Amino acid sequence: MKKNHRLLPISLIAAAVLAGCSTMPASDSLLAQARNDYSNAQSNPQVTSLAAGELRQASDSLDKANNASNKGENRGVVDHLAYVAKQQVAIAQETARQKAAELEVANASAERDRVRLDARTREADSAQRSAEFSRRQAEASQRDAEASQRQSQASQRDAEASQRQSQASQRSAEYSQRQSEASQRSAEASQREAVVQQQAATDAQLSAQSAHQRTQDAEGRSRLLEAQLREMQAKKTDRGMVVTLGDVLFDTDRAQLKSGGMRNVQKLADFFKQYPERRLMIEGFTDSTGTMSHNQDLSNERAQSVRTALLGMGVSTDRITSRGYGEAYPAAGNDTAAGRQRNRRVEIVVSDDSGNISPR
Amino acid sequence: MAVSRSAVANAVSAGGAEYAPVEMRAAQEKMDRANRAMGKEDFEDARKLAEEAQADARLAEKKAQAAKAQKAASVTQDDIRVLREEINRK
Repeated sequence: MKKNHRLLPISLIAAAVLAGCSTMPASDSLLAQARNDYSNAQSNPQVTSLAAGELRQASDSLDKANNASNKGENRGVVDHLAYVAKQQVAIAQETARQKAAELEVANASAERDRVRLDARTREADSAQRSAEFSRRQAEASQRDAEASQRQSQASQRDAEASQRQSQASQRSAEYSQRQSEASQRSAEASQREAVVQQQAATDAQLSAQSAHQRTQDAEGRSRLLEAQLREMQAKKTDRGMVVTLGDVLFDTDRAQLKSGGMRNVQKLADFFKQYPERRLMIEGFTDSTGTMSHNQDLSNERAQSVRTALLGMGVSTDRITSRGYGEAYPAAGNDTAAGRQRNRRVEIVVSDDSGNISPR
Repeated sequence: MAVSRSAVANAVSAGGAEYAPVEMRAAQEKMDRANRAMGKEDFEDARKLAEEAQADARLAEKKAQAAKAQKAASVTQDDIRVLREEINRK
């Protein structure tokens, strides 16, 4: 190569003088490429604007190469300078590409920011529209609420009026109730009084019934007593019922009762046990035969004998009194035997139910 | 030479090997040759090779940076597209 380079200068100068660049020999193609590349770069506005410094360096280097070529410097020097110039043109082009890309990145970032901003603006608009919609809805709701409130107030006024009416009615009702209560209290008092009176009436009736019963009982008992006494051949006299024990019931001229007399006395004792309120007066009598003192004694003894018998049969002492009347109070005439027999007797006078016996 | 070495190192760290493998390889090869020329005390050759290596390295670095920037732009455009779709879906 070096040998060839050293052989070329004469023809190269001749070619340059004769035909210029276009007719440069092959060894000048490196310088030609550099010139061509530089020409392309210079016509590229991106390179001239973005890599002006680099392009100027390339231009300087190309000038040097051209100068060297024009001065007929040796091939090695020209090629070297042309190579450096060519590479510098390439550097300028790459620098322009780099800066263009960097600008693109910067613009794209701006674009990206703008897109984001648009998006946010749309979002904000949307939010604002939404807010506006919400506001209108809120206003509508408020109007509804106000209408409801007005209705509610009207209802309340109605309710208050009703309440006032109701209170008036209630006062009236309360007055009526008080009156009613008073009436009821009065009625209750009357009822209590009526109950009391009724009770009194019932008591009175019961009392009357009781009295009546007692009367009936007393009458009944009296009737029963009379019947029993009649059974004992008692007679009803002004002094009361009188049972007569005849002479035949005693031993002759003696006070001792015979067994038949004792049976009659037993009936009397049983009778008086049933009527404890009754008292007895036992009276002895004789006929006119014999002395008066003897007759008095006999009448006493016979009456006493009956009393003793009754006491022995359980009739209490205080209920029985006895006495003899002798010949006095004859039941019949002493002029006949039958009359005298009737006069010899013991009379047992039964008291009334209070225990009283009328004296002779 | 130092400036050239620095330029090569920058190109490597910028990802030149990935985005501009041809230029990167050329730069490293020329750097090697420049070092060898220095060793032979052929300073004129070393200077030329170093200069070319530096130009290659800077080109590799710029290509890497440009590619990354374009990638970023593309990602950003995608972001915007997704964002628009997202918004329109709402």
